[in-house]
Amino acid sequence: AWLGVRLAISVSLLFTASAVFEDQVGKFDWRQQFIGKVRFALFDTHSQASKKLLVATDKNVFASLNSRTGDLFWRHLDKTGPEGHLDSLLMYGQDAVVVVGNGRLLRSWETTVGGLKWETVLDTGSFKAAALVGVQDLVKYVAVLKKTAISLHDLSSGGQIWVENLPDSDTVQYQTIYSEGNGLVFVLGLVPNSHVVIVEYKIEDGEIMNKKSIQAAWMSSLESSCAVISSGILLCVDQITQSLYTLPLQSVEQKEMKQIHLQTLDLEVASGFQPVLTSTQPNPAQPPLAEFFLQLNPDHHILLQLKDGLIAPLRDFNPSNLVAFATTGEKTVAAVMSPKNETACSINLFSADTGRRHLDTTIIYHLDPNVGKPNKLYVHAFLKKDDSVGYRVMVQSEDHTLTFLQQPGRVVWMREEALADVVTMEMVDLPLTGTQAELEGEFGKKAVVTDGLLPMVLKRLSSQFILLQAWLAHLWKLFYDARKPRSSVKNDEVTIENLSRDEFNLQKMMVMVTASGKLFGIDSKSGAILWRHYLENIQPNSGFKLMVQRSTAHFPHPPQCTLLIKDKDIGLASLHVFNPIFGKKSHSSVPALPRPILQTLLLPIIDQDYAKVLLLIDDQYKVTAFPSTKNILQQLQDTASSIYFYLVDSSQGKLSGFRLRKDLSTELIWEVVIPTEVQKIVAVKGKRGNEHVHSQGRVMGDRSVLYKYLNPNLLAVVTESTDTHQERSFVGIFLIDGVTGRIVHEAVQRKARGPVHFVHSENWVVYVYWNSKFRRNEFSVLELFEGAELYNSTVFSSLDRPRPPQVLQQSYIFPAGISTLEATLTEKGITSRHLLVGLPSGSILSLPKLFLDPRRPEVVSEQTREENLIPYAPEMPIRTEWFINYNQTVSRVRGIHTAPSGLESTCLVVAYGLDIYQTRVFPSKQFDVLKDDYDYVLISSVLFGLFFATMISKRLAEVKLLNRAWR
Amino acid sequence: MWYINRLLDVYVALQAVFALSWCFSDLDSGPVVASNGDRFKIEGRAIVPGFKTQDWISTARVLVEGEDYVGFLKIDGSFAVNDVPSGSYVVEVVSPSFRFEPVRVDITSKGKMRARLVNYIKTSEVVRQSYPLQIRANGPHTYFMKRETWGWTDFLMNPMVMMMVLPLLIIVLLPKVLNTNDPEMRKEMEQSMNMLNPNPELPDVSEFMTKLFSKGSSKSGASNKGSRSVASKRR
Repeated sequence: AWLGVRLAISVSLLFTASAVFEDQVGKFDWRQQFIGKVRFALFDTHSQASKKLLVATDKNVFASLNSRTGDLFWRHLDKTGPEGHLDSLLMYGQDAVVVVGNGRLLRSWETTVGGLKWETVLDTGSFKAAALVGVQDLVKYVAVLKKTAISLHDLSSGGQIWVENLPDSDTVQYQTIYSEGNGLVFVLGLVPNSHVVIVEYKIEDGEIMNKKSIQAAWMSSLESSCAVISSGILLCVDQITQSLYTLPLQSVEQKEMKQIHLQTLDLEVASGFQPVLTSTQPNPAQPPLAEFFLQLNPDHHILLQLKDGLIAPLRDFNPSNLVAFATTGEKTVAAVMSPKNETACSINLFSADTGRRHLDTTIIYHLDPNVGKPNKLYVHAFLKKDDSVGYRVMVQSEDHTLTFLQQPGRVVWMREEALADVVTMEMVDLPLTGTQAELEGEFGKKAVVTDGLLPMVLKRLSSQFILLQAWLAHLWKLFYDARKPRSSVKNDEVTIENLSRDEFNLQKMMVMVTASGKLFGIDSKSGAILWRHYLENIQPNSGFKLMVQRSTAHFPHPPQCTLLIKDKDIGLASLHVFNPIFGKKSHSSVPALPRPILQTLLLPIIDQDYAKVLLLIDDQYKVTAFPSTKNILQQLQDTASSIYFYLVDSSQGKLSGFRLRKDLSTELIWEVVIPTEVQKIVAVKGKRGNEHVHSQGRVMGDRSVLYKYLNPNLLAVVTESTDTHQERSFVGIFLIDGVTGRIVHEAVQRKARGPVHFVHSENWVVYVYWNSKFRRNEFSVLELFEGAELYNSTVFSSLDRPRPPQVLQQSYIFPAGISTLEATLTEKGITSRHLLVGLPSGSILSLPKLFLDPRRPEVVSEQTREENLIPYAPEMPIRTEWFINYNQTVSRVRGIHTAPSGLESTCLVVAYGLDIYQTRVFPSKQFDVLKDDYDYVLISSVLFGLFFATMISKRLAEVKLLNRAWR
Repeated sequence: MWYINRLLDVYVALQAVFALSWCFSDLDSGPVVASNGDRFKIEGRAIVPGFKTQDWISTARVLVEGEDYVGFLKIDGSFAVNDVPSGSYVVEVVSPSFRFEPVRVDITSKGKMRARLVNYIKTSEVVRQSYPLQIRANGPHTYFMKRETWGWTDFLMNPMVMMMVLPLLIIVLLPKVLNTNDPEMRKEMEQSMNMLNPNPELPDVSEFMTKLFSKGSSKSGASNKGSRSVASKRR
C-alpha cells in the first residue's frame, strides 16, 4: 500500500509538470489552420445571404470557408494519399457531392452543419467524370462515369438507380458526361485520332437510346479541347487545322462535324498552344449558354456566341490572363482579368449574352512579387438591391495563395495556403533595439583597444543617458495611453520595424520553408506573417535544408540564413542566402554548384564577419566552402585534421566516414555496409548541435554516480527489414560513432515494423515502432552510460575511448498511434526533458522522459525510491492534461520544432503539419519566473499588515512602559 | 437467485470463449490482409449524451488504426468506414471536445465482425462489445489543471499552522482556565511534572543545551548568527 501511495505521489508530482491552466489559453499559444492548394472551389449561390465557400484541395481536405472573413466553418480531412484524393466536387442547394479515391466513394455532405449525409461505395474502375443530372428543372441524380461503366445515383439518399457497362470500353476512352434535363444522359468518348463516340442513356432505367460514332481524325483529347454549349451542341477546337468543329449531340442525320475555320472569324491560335474552351451551364437541369470563351494564347481570350448555327465574336479580350463565368439569379456574367500595368491587374465584369461591360465594376488586383502569378479566378456574383450584378473574386496564385477581393480592390482576406506544407523551419532570435545594441557595442573589442579611459567614461555616460531617455519616453507613452479610453488604444501591432528581442528572448522569428518554395517569416508571439518570399522555378519535389549561418548576436552584422534547395531527382542544388529577420535576399556571392550535393556541414569555424562556414560535399567527394574567404580557408587548413563527416547511401546500404585533408580533398576512413537484401536504412540522426547537457551523470541511490556516455559524434541509424511478413519483419537500430565508424551498440526488435519515429539526444535514443505480433505501438529507450568512472572527464574523444559504454534498454506499450516525435530543448539543459508526441488525433502529448527511463525498477527498493524512479509499468499513461495544445488540435502533424528561450524553464514549441501551432512548454514548471497567478495583493497586504502591527505594538509597548514607570 | 446469476455468467463466459475459438484462430497472430481484395465496412454510432449532433460532428472523425482508414460522422451520429480489409483494428472516434473509448474490431476473411474492449497488454483477451458499435462519449476532455487558490480554510488547515496555533491557544488559554493561584492545584501540577520526569538526577536537555552554548566561544555564536542571516536572506 505504501508503494502505491509513493507512486501516486510521484505521479501526481509529474502530473502537474506540463499542464496548461485554463487562464493560459491563448496567452502565449496560437494556431493557424490551413487547407492546402485548392483544386475545386464553389460559392454557395443557393441563397443571397450565404457566406459559404466550399473548397476541395490537393491535401484531401474538404472544407467550408466563410467568404466574408476567410475563416473555416468546418473542415474534413480524408486519408492522405490517392485513397483520399478528391476527384470531383459538385454542389446543389445545401448538398455537396464529392467523389473520393479515384471514384471509389461517393459522398454527400450537408454543408451547413458539416455532417455527412450519405456515403456509397462505387465499383472499381478509374474515375473519369461526374455530373449532376436534372429532370424537369429539378436536380435529382448524380451520374458518375468510370473507365468501363456509368452509374446513376439518387441525390437525396445515394442509392444506386442503375449501373451500365459502356460499349467497347476497351477501345473507346470515355471522358465526359453531359445532360440538360431532357431525360437523357450523354456519355462522350473518343478513340484518339479516329472518331468520337456518343452514347445516349435514358435516365429512368439506363437503357441505351442511341449510339453513334463521328469521324474526328484530328482529335487527341476530348476533355481539353471540347465543350458542350447551347442546347446540346458539342464544340471542339483544334490548333493544327485552326478550326472550330460543331456537332449537335442529338441529331440523327448529321454524320460528321461541321468545320468552321478560325480565319473566317479573323482569329488565330498561337502555335504550340492548346486552345481552351470555357463554357458555362448555370443549372444542370437546363442546357448551357450559347456563349463561350476561347483562349487563343496564354494572354488572349475571346468571348464568342453560337447563334443559329453561326459563331460570332462578342468581344475580344486582348490582353487577358484569366476569365471566369458566374451566375446569379437569371443573369450570367463573365469576369475578365487583364494586366493593367507592371504591378497591377484589373478585373472587369461583362454580361455574358452581349459582351457589354458593366459600369463601375473594376477591381484592381495588385501583383505582389512575393505572391506569384495569379492562375485561377473564382467569381461570386450576387444581385444588388437595384437588381444590378455585384461581385467579389477569389484569386488563386501559383504559390497557392488565395486572395479574396471586393470592389474597388480591397483585399477582404488572404490565405497563405503554402503554409499547409511546411518542410523545415528554424527559430531565429530577434535583433536588439538600437539602444540595447548601443550599450552592447560599447564593450566591443575594438572600442577597448582604440579608446582611452576618458572617452570610455564619456561613452558610458552618454549611453546611460540614452537609456534614461528611452525609459522616460516609455513611461510617458504608458501615461499617455492610460489616459485614453481603452478602446481607442491600438493593439501593439508587430511590424518588421518595431521588432525587438524581449527580456527573456521568448519572442522569436520563425523562418518557415514550404514545399512550394515560398519562405515565410512569422512572429512567434502573435503568428503574424512579417515577411514572405516566393522562390520561383522550384521543382515540385525539391528537398530543403535550412541553416542559420550567423545569428543575431553579431551586431552590426545582419543575421544570415542559408537555404539549400536540392532537386531530389537529379541531385543538383542551389543556395539561397537571406536575412531571416527581413526576408531579403543577401547580396553575398554564392558558389556555383555544378555537381549534385550529397552532404552539408555547418562548422563552428567563423570568419571575420562571424558567419559560420558551410561545407558542401558533392558526389565526387569534393568540398566547397561557403563563405570561402582567405581567412576561412586558412582556418580550415588548420583544423582540417579534426573535421570528419559521414555519407549515407541507403540504396546500397552503405554508411561511410570521411576526413577532410588540408587541401580540402577528402579521405575515406571507414565504411559500414548494411546488406540491402536483409534490411534497408530508413533514417540516420545525430544529435542536435545546440543541445546542452547540464549534468554529466546520475546520482544513484547509494550516492555513487553513474556517468553518462556523452558522445557528440554518435549517430543513430534505424533500419527496417526488407521482408515485410509479420513473423519475420524486424526493426534494427545501430549506434555508430561518426568519427571512427565503430558500432557502439546494436539492437533488434523482432516482429516489428515501421514507421519508426525516434529522438536521439544526450545519452539516450527513444524510438517507436509497430509491434506486429501484438498489434500495438511500442516505445523503446536506449540509455548509454560510461559506468561509475569517467574515462576522460575534460574532453570527449572518439579516438580514445577504450571501454564500450554500458547500454540499458527498456520498452513500453504506447496505447495510441504516433505521427511524430521530438524532445524539448532548453538553454542550459537543467530542466528535465519531455518528449513531445504528435498523435493522429491532432493532440500533442508532453510525456515526461522520466517515464522512459530504462532504470525503472520492477521491484521497488529503498535505493530506487531514493532515486525517484517510477516502478515499471508496461503501459505508458496518456492523460489529456498532458496535451499541450488542449483542444487546438494540429491536423496531420508532420514535425515538431523545439527551440530554447532565454528562460531555462521555458521551451518554445512549434508543431506543423496541415496546421501550425506555437506554444511554450515548462517541463519542470516555471521555476525561474513568478507564476502567472502570483498573488501580489496578498503578499503586499501581509507586508503592510505586519508593518502596521509593529508600529501599533511599539506604541502600545511604550505606553505600557510609561505606565509601569509611574507605578 | 444468486445461483441463476452465476449460471448466466458462466454461460456468457462460455459463449465468449466459444466465439474466440470459431472465428479467430487465424487472427490472433496478426492482421491478415485479404489477398482477394475483399473489403468490408465497419459500422457504428457515436453518442454524446446531452448534446445535439450538429454541435460536434463537424470536428469529429472516426480513425481506424491510426489514420489508416478514415470515416466521417453522419448527421444522426452514425458512421461507416468503408473499404477496410479483414484484420484487427482499433476504432476510435476522435473529437477535440469529447472523450470516446476506443474499440477493437476484428474482421475475419469471410467478413464476420466482432467488437471487443481494447487491451494492449493482454491482446488476445476478449471482452465482447456490441456490434454495430455503440460508442458513447464519457464526458468532455479535461485539458486543464486547476489553479491552486488561496483560501482561509486552506491556510488554517495547513498542518504547520495547526502546529503553531494550537500550542499558542494552550499557552494563552490554559492559565485562564486553571486557576494557578490555587495552592492545591499547584501542588497537583508539580506532582504530575515529577511523574513526567521520573529521574530528577538526569540533567534536563534544555538546561544542557543552554550550558553548552553559553560555554561556546562568542565566535561560534557569531557564525551562527551569520548563517542564520544568510538563511533568512535566502528565504
